Amino acid sequence: MLEIVLSYPDLSLFLALMVLGYTCGTVAEKRHYRSIIRREKELVKLMVVNADGHFAEGAVRTAFLVNGSMVVSNDYFKRLLAILRNIFGGRVKAYESLIDRARREAILRMKEEARAKGAHMIVNLRLETSTIGRAANKKNRIGSIETLAYGTAVVMNRP
Amino acid sequence: MKFTPKHIEGNVNVSKTHPLTELCWLVGGLLLLTLILYLLLGVTTDIAVAKIPVSAEVWLGEHFIDAMDAVENQPLQQLLERLLDNLPVDSPLHEYTFHVQIVENEQINALALPGGRIVVFSALLEQAESENEVAMVLAHELGHFAHRDHLHRLGRGLGVTVAAIMLFGEDSAASALASKLFLVGDSHYSREQESAADRFGLELLVARYGHAGGATDFFARVGKEAGSRVPYLLASHPHPDDRVRELQGLIAANGHRIDAVMPLGQDLLEDLPLSKEPPGKEPASATGRQTSRL
Repeated sequence: MLEIVLSYPDLSLFLALMVLGYTCGTVAEKRHYRSIIRREKELVKLMVVNADGHFAEGAVRTAFLVNGSMVVSNDYFKRLLAILRNIFGGRVKAYESLIDRARREAILRMKEEARAKGAHMIVNLRLETSTIGRAANKKNRIGSIETLAYGTAVVMNRP
Repeated sequence: MKFTPKHIEGNVNVSKTHPLTELCWLVGGLLLLTLILYLLLGVTTDIAVAKIPVSAEVWLGEHFIDAMDAVENQPLQQLLERLLDNLPVDSPLHEYTFHVQIVENEQINALALPGGRIVVFSALLEQAESENEVAMVLAHELGHFAHRDHLHRLGRGLGVTVAAIMLFGEDSAASALASKLFLVGDSHYSREQESAADRFGLELLVARYGHAGGATDFFARVGKEAGSRVPYLLASHPHPDDRVRELQGLIAANGHRIDAVMPLGQDLLEDLPLSKEPPGKEPASATGRQTSRL
């Protein structure tokens, strides 16, 4: 067994990274989703809309910018699935959950900031996504993405 | 508009497919694609090889990357010439000019290179015990030329390598592996090709010496070293023991006599580049010396 591993170092490393990527990636993703769902339920009462806010005069005590961002990395296993997808085409399912997690986490962080500052709602929500680092689009590199959520937190003048 | 806080269950943005299921589909599809490509290449190569003249093959041989430090060997060349004299008149091999060369190498092996070059590794000659045995090895390599096996191999290898480069890029590990597997000079032949070359070799050996003595000696000795049969299930070569059995079956079926073998000429042994081991000495270890890839 050891002999086989030693005679094919590249292949063994590749397989090891694959298994590592799959197990760690899956565990991390499951834990993250559990946390996301729990916090989303906690914060569900804090309204977030992407429409402009139009308020009656005197209704708003103060408004300020809030933002939240998350950087999430690809793993070896997801990258392999994406590479294989590049051959056949179709939905890159491996990356869907990454993007989804980044978006929801960024919004959650933004809402947490808003709640901490006593906001009643967030209007004008915007989402930006970008790849991080020059390695992100290069071959043989693991890239990561950042999703930034920002909006205007509004504190109402209500009793 | 009234805002009603509600947590939404489920997620439309993420597909439900299990990643491992997706991996299986994708890898399976890729394998199927490769298989179809390989089979298509096999068919086209077989059609093309029949139309490639020997002169084109000689040209190819001249442009082959020559990384081997090979030396000509006169006694071995004479052995080959005497074999060639016994070819049938209509044999396609008459179009070639054959050269046999010795390379200093620990492997027990011999190669047929495009264009009529036969390279024999010194370790093979060191452990050979008779002239008939070496003649069988040379005749076997001539069999590869007669069936143009290296062209068949090269055609498939070229196609697979080009496909790998197109899919994975020029400097990827997959392309390197494909070219290593299919394009190197000492590429392997399939089991059928080896068996066919064995049959050709046996016929030529009988034509030269009048009997089949020494035909199986080489494989019998290598078979003892090769050991377990298990790795040979996937190998490109038949297990040496199977080759011995097949050759013995052919010898019996054709009613060839088995007479005493001729000793190996001393002039041939003297020219060997390696310092010789004492005869009968066992190889240092089973893995130290690789088994035959004739």
